[in-house]
Amino acid sequence: MIELKNIRLGFKDKLIFNNFNYIIRKGDKILLNGPSGTGKTTFFRLLLGFSRPEEGEIFFDQRKLEINTVREIRRRIGYLSQEAEIPPGKASEVIKIIFNYKWNREIKMNEEKLFFLLDYFSLGQDILPKDIESLSGGERQRLLLIILLLLERDIYLLDEPTSALDEELKHKVKDYFLNIPETVLVISHDKTWEDESGMKILNWAETGEE
Amino acid sequence: MSKDISLFSLVLTLLLLLIPLAFNYYLRLDIGRKTVIAASRMFLQLFLIGFFLKYIFELNLVWLNLLWLAVMLVVSTVSVVNSCSLQLKIFGCPVLLSVGFPVILVLFYFNFFIIRLGNIFDAKYLIAIGGMLLGNLLNGNIVGLNNFLNNVRKTEKKYLANLALGADKREALLADLRESIRASINPTIASMATMGLVSLPGMMTGQILGGTSPAVAVKYQMAIMIAIFVTRILSIFIALMMTLRVGFDEFDLLRKDIFRRC
Repeated sequence: MIELKNIRLGFKDKLIFNNFNYIIRKGDKILLNGPSGTGKTTFFRLLLGFSRPEEGEIFFDQRKLEINTVREIRRRIGYLSQEAEIPPGKASEVIKIIFNYKWNREIKMNEEKLFFLLDYFSLGQDILPKDIESLSGGERQRLLLIILLLLERDIYLLDEPTSALDEELKHKVKDYFLNIPETVLVISHDKTWEDESGMKILNWAETGEE
Repeated sequence: MSKDISLFSLVLTLLLLLIPLAFNYYLRLDIGRKTVIAASRMFLQLFLIGFFLKYIFELNLVWLNLLWLAVMLVVSTVSVVNSCSLQLKIFGCPVLLSVGFPVILVLFYFNFFIIRLGNIFDAKYLIAIGGMLLGNLLNGNIVGLNNFLNNVRKTEKKYLANLALGADKREALLADLRESIRASINPTIASMATMGLVSLPGMMTGQILGGTSPAVAVKYQMAIMIAIFVTRILSIFIALMMTLRVGFDEFDLLRKDIFRRC
């Protein structure tokens, strides 16, 4: 469970969060809905400890997000940024590098799952020897989603995960993430995420500027 | 000994400055003020230094020589910190360490093992060689640090994405660190490679003008180039490691308050 308590954060003269409270329960699937520039991405950055609130606290399972816990908490989060940033290099090498990162070393890379997901997201194994830089935006998005799933995080923060995908793939991504037991938060302007039940909707304009 | 330059000749040198000033006027380069200030500073500083060094060399006292070296270290530190628009309060000590440690280490190795001086604190060697090392490392440090800080600021999103992927600070910045070290030492590698062919280096020129035989001067040049190379890489490495320590906060985010507001 993630609890945000009395969060206050502003940029320059614009207040993005003022006395903001919210609870995310384990396994929740939440769509953040609202116009751009209202702080949806900042909400993710707060959870990752990339932005720090001026006031208020964030708790992950009763543990406060602070100096001693921030790295451990980041390790529980799978974050897909809008640009779907992946380190440069050959896809297969990059996956190896990521699994060698300090906080991932205990995680065992599940090759079967990798092949299954490559297939499910229509990438195919021939993407593995390719250079990340040569991939299209959509390929990068899917590859990063796969890497996050292989890292077996508890919480997925997906910022526009389907923006570069066609209709069929959008549905596949959505179906997959709605049917896993982990917590999933999505920022998306794609109608695909809206048109079905199964997701809580956090309406931004109303909540953020209370 | 080299032939002295008379005051009248110095005035003739000043006349040459009219050429860049003419360019400034016709092309509106907007560097007139800067040029005049820089040239005046150079003349003033060098006159003073010539005056001081004359006495320092004559007296040749160990403590005075070391004090002079310390002053050079501090001035270099301030210059690096300022050139990177950093806060002296935060970066002063880390940069001083990155400047001082390699220079002192290499300088004493150089004077003791290579030149085999009886007195390794001899003014001529301590101050002249120390100055050469410092002048070079200053450049390398400014290039390397600026490169690193600019890169991190420009690609902060990539850095954060890497942190979120499970990297620690060093892993997430590894590519930037490598690039900055390269940027810092590449000029030295290039100048080693062309040494003697493209340019006669300043030290060699100086020694030859001073009456040393070219055969000895080239050996000094070889030794000093290696010494420069080593201090440069040691220095930028320490500077970057210190930047990782003081330039980032407890959440591993780049501190915004380390930069001076311009």
